[in-house]
Amino acid sequence: MTSEIYSARVRKLFGNPAHAGSLAGAHAARVDDQGVSVQFFADVADGRILELRFLAWGCPHVIAAAEALCAQYERRPVSELKSFEAGQLMQSLSVPVEKTGRILVIEDAARSLAEMLGKI
Amino acid sequence: MIYLDYAATTPVDSRVAATILALLTADGDFANPSSNHQAGLRSRAHVAHAAERLGALINAHPDRLIWTSGATESDNLAIIGAARARAHRGRHLITMPTEHKAVTDTFAALEQQGFEVSWLAPDSRGLLEIAQLEAAIREDTQLVSIMHVNNETGIVQDIAQIGAVCRQHDVLYHVDAAQSLGKLPLDVGNLPIDLMSMTAHKVYGPKGVGALFIADRPGCHIEPLTYGGGQQKRLRPGTLAVPLIAGFGHAAEIASSCQADDLKHLAELRDQLWGGIRDVPGVTLNGDIDGFPGILNVSVDGVEGESLLLALEPLCVATGSACNSKSQEPSGVLRAMGLSDMQAQSAIRFSLGRPTRGEDVAAAVELYCNAISRLRGIAPEPPA
Repeated sequence: MTSEIYSARVRKLFGNPAHAGSLAGAHAARVDDQGVSVQFFADVADGRILELRFLAWGCPHVIAAAEALCAQYERRPVSELKSFEAGQLMQSLSVPVEKTGRILVIEDAARSLAEMLGKI
Repeated sequence: MIYLDYAATTPVDSRVAATILALLTADGDFANPSSNHQAGLRSRAHVAHAAERLGALINAHPDRLIWTSGATESDNLAIIGAARARAHRGRHLITMPTEHKAVTDTFAALEQQGFEVSWLAPDSRGLLEIAQLEAAIREDTQLVSIMHVNNETGIVQDIAQIGAVCRQHDVLYHVDAAQSLGKLPLDVGNLPIDLMSMTAHKVYGPKGVGALFIADRPGCHIEPLTYGGGQQKRLRPGTLAVPLIAGFGHAAEIASSCQADDLKHLAELRDQLWGGIRDVPGVTLNGDIDGFPGILNVSVDGVEGESLLLALEPLCVATGSACNSKSQEPSGVLRAMGLSDMQAQSAIRFSLGRPTRGEDVAAAVELYCNAISRLRGIAPEPPA
């Protein structure tokens, strides 16, 4: 049954979330909403994200989305993270529309982190 | 794959499969059992033999069995059929929110049709308190439906005591025995049960066939829900599925012969499973360790249920939620027992079966412990 719910990419990201974890002393932003908790950690230098990590409590789509986001924005300029939108990520992961609210929690946390990093 | 979802369904016993196959093709007894020619009579004999075998399992006269497509249809036929048959006497019915959907949805439909339903809350283990039932029965109460073994938790209701209360008040008692048939002793000849729903596919028989026991006593009548022929005393007309019925009968006979061994086997495996996970921090048992040993339902703190289910692959178990992408509603059974949404959502039902081996359970324990550890390792601290 689960194979019908999750795309191969979601399964892969969920099964091997290489960016799961925290970064000691890093900048962090957290959002708790929709029964989901997401926290991002970032080390930055010269306006660029050196390392990006996450902790998440949620369904497999949430964990996969957080992992995908970290993989996408690590080693990228902070300015790019500011423009992150959940829609594209939802599409690429084939997230069911009824889970939109949960993925928007990731968007909120990412934007919160980007805003924080932008003030450095 | 490690299959620990035997409460959802069981594989067909190979001996049962052989019985079914022999009745499907031209070289077997494939004829319509309602036909009066020689071939029809042979088919009819298979149905009669199946009724004897199932009747022997539950100590019922074969004439008191109505073949259906499964427990859901049996539940519908029993509940709606009895409610309609006795509507002139009263329209009050009693059940519990912890019943299977086949029962709760049927009662909900009857509510829409002008019947009044009392939904009795269980205690924290999922059990009905008899005093609560006695207090709920009124002059106009016609039917009580309380299952034997709960499909989610394995809790075993005291059907003898419930039935006795019903008899005292001249109220019909229906039991959904989908999870207990062939697994726990069921003697309707000596139990105060008026209607009992059964299915084959939980007891190593085929999917698509079930039965309804109707007691032979005054006032125990039901109305049919379908029309079209004279079969089965007009209560459930239609051509009988002889191969499936014969398979059900054979599965019932096998269950009769190995029930005690099965129970011992399941109890050993259940103890192994619970012994392996009970010390994981935050794990709680839903139900009672003294319930039916084939089912163990556990919740765990700090882990999201849907992620837990995926992380458990290749272990095949059931979750405490509705489990589809559109709905992650926590189990109504567990919520009714007082669990929080989060506890209910993290619930996993392990259900063991005749083919389950000790190494399957050992692997399940390892997968469960590893999955919890992994998911907790990537979760933030709980919100303050």
